[in-house]
Amino acid sequence: MSRDKSLVVDGVRQFFGPKNSRVQALSRTDLVIEPGQFVCLAGPSGCGKTTLLRLIAGFINPSEGQITVSGSEIIGPGPDRGVVFQSPTLYPWMDVASNVELGLKFQGVSKDQRRADSERYLQMVGLTDFAHRRTYELSGGMQQRCQIARVLASDPEFILMDEPFGALDALTRERLQNELLDIWRKTGKTILFITHSVDEAVFLGSRVLVMSPRPGKIVFDEPAIFSKPGESIAAEEIRSLPAFLELRERVRSSIQHSH
Amino acid sequence: MVIPLDGLEYHPSGGPDDRHGGPAVVAKSAPLWVRVRKNHWTTRLIALAAFLVVWWILTTPWAWNGDKPIMLPLYLPSIPSVWNAFIRANTIHPIAEGVDREVVGEYGYYLWQHLLATLQRIGIGLFFAIVIGLPLGLLMASVKIISVSVEPYINFLRSLPPLGYIGLLIVWFGIDNTSKIWLLFLAAFPPITIATIAGVSGIKEDQIHAAQSLGASRLQVVSSVTVPAIAPDLITGIRVALGFAWTTVVAAELNNGIPGIGGLAYLSGTELKTPLTITCIIVIGITAIVLDSIIKAMERVLTPWRGKA
Ligand SMILES: Nc1ncnc2c1ncn2[C@@H]1O[C@H](COP(=O)(O)OP(=O)(O)OP(=O)(O)O)[C@@H](O)[C@H]1O
Ligand SMILES: [Mg+2]
Repeated sequence: MSRDKSLVVDGVRQFFGPKNSRVQALSRTDLVIEPGQFVCLAGPSGCGKTTLLRLIAGFINPSEGQITVSGSEIIGPGPDRGVVFQSPTLYPWMDVASNVELGLKFQGVSKDQRRADSERYLQMVGLTDFAHRRTYELSGGMQQRCQIARVLASDPEFILMDEPFGALDALTRERLQNELLDIWRKTGKTILFITHSVDEAVFLGSRVLVMSPRPGKIVFDEPAIFSKPGESIAAEEIRSLPAFLELRERVRSSIQHSH
Repeated sequence: MVIPLDGLEYHPSGGPDDRHGGPAVVAKSAPLWVRVRKNHWTTRLIALAAFLVVWWILTTPWAWNGDKPIMLPLYLPSIPSVWNAFIRANTIHPIAEGVDREVVGEYGYYLWQHLLATLQRIGIGLFFAIVIGLPLGLLMASVKIISVSVEPYINFLRSLPPLGYIGLLIVWFGIDNTSKIWLLFLAAFPPITIATIAGVSGIKEDQIHAAQSLGASRLQVVSSVTVPAIAPDLITGIRVALGFAWTTVVAAELNNGIPGIGGLAYLSGTELKTPLTITCIIVIGITAIVLDSIIKAMERVLTPWRGKA
């Protein structure tokens, strides 16, 4: 794989707060995410997962070290890195469809094309009937789905997702997992996916990372072989593979032992 | 300032109203005391009736009082005389009883023309207050040097009672409309600027981040996020500004204020035409309430998400 298009986290440390009472959120982190990887990041609450995602998104600048994409340093947010926020961040002054179309609108895509795209993604996340509602009329899980549709519609190279399926019921969650896998297989996008569910991490990821508690540090980093681009195995089949169960167990114990 | 109307709201739907802590739907057949308890409009009508009765008692000639009213008409005119003043102010009528010459309304204008003249001044003053106050607020919210250097002057201006500097404006801009519009502008723009700054500082960081991650340019962030996000605060600012401008306009119209409802109220008072003064006061008060309701309705229509997201 060509290294040029990789996302490289190089010697990054992150502190918060004033100098004399600063909190370290991330201890020195080095990480290379290759194009096309589906990286799942798990770890206990408050360990720094969101912090790492926000650094990559360009919302905050690292206290130390640097992050580069294709060799150039990230200095702010950009349309190449779409973000699904941990708590839904939608615009209440627009209806659901306009929220989904927003990225395309910023890119100057024509209105008809936008409508077509938003309809497709709203259908995917099951919000077709709510296209013309205001976002505050949606439930928490529906808002989360709307956010996912918005990012997918804007078609970024990197998709950064912060516990996107946390608020969903098991059935919807499973359906969206499969949709996301489908998109990933078809488009070969690079995905960073934060989750609290070990099962989800091992099931979705082509690579699984575990972060230790504060200050966060990546303590586990292994490829997961279960969903590869280009092939799709039934979900139940994957979940019953001995190798799947074995990896899931090792990820679980690594989270437990990191405490 | 306009009285905040939160307690005086009309609910045409009559649906349950959590703010008043009770259902507004009451059967027509319910006994009066139940309706008073449950329906604010019944209560208000009764209060108005009581007020009018007291007014009537105070202004009617009583035999036991030597056929004189309790309060002399000069101080408190009777209800019919106020009504007559209202009619006179809206019609062409003889200049005095038994005189042939006829005049229009009061001081050459109908009452509604006085009101319209005042509304026009307010409208122009408020228009400039928004056109200047909003961008100034945006600028102050985003450029530190500007906010640090300009803010003290805005607070200074805000603390001045407009009567304090009307004299200066007359010296600068003459006694006609220009100085009045300046006064209303100066009264109205600080609340708008301050509301804009408050609005910008209340924007959630991630709402900006989300737009940037979707590829928004600086300008697109402003138009798609900043402006709509501050709209609720801005409308509140305009509401405060309008209320302040309305109370200021009487001060503005003390000098050369005809046509103008404030000028009419003042001039009629100095000429001891008390019924006309009271008519003006009622018109001024009702107009203020109507204007405020209009802005509240705009708020509901333009920013339905207010308080929900
Ligand atoms: N803006 C900030 N200012 C100060 N401290 C912060 C800030 N953001 C995060 N932190 C701290 O950094 C640590 C890591 O936070 P982070 O949000 O990255 O955790 P997380 O792994 O995403 O947790 P969760 O799974 O609960 O979402 C926490 O201790 C948090 O208090
Ligand atoms: Mg988090």
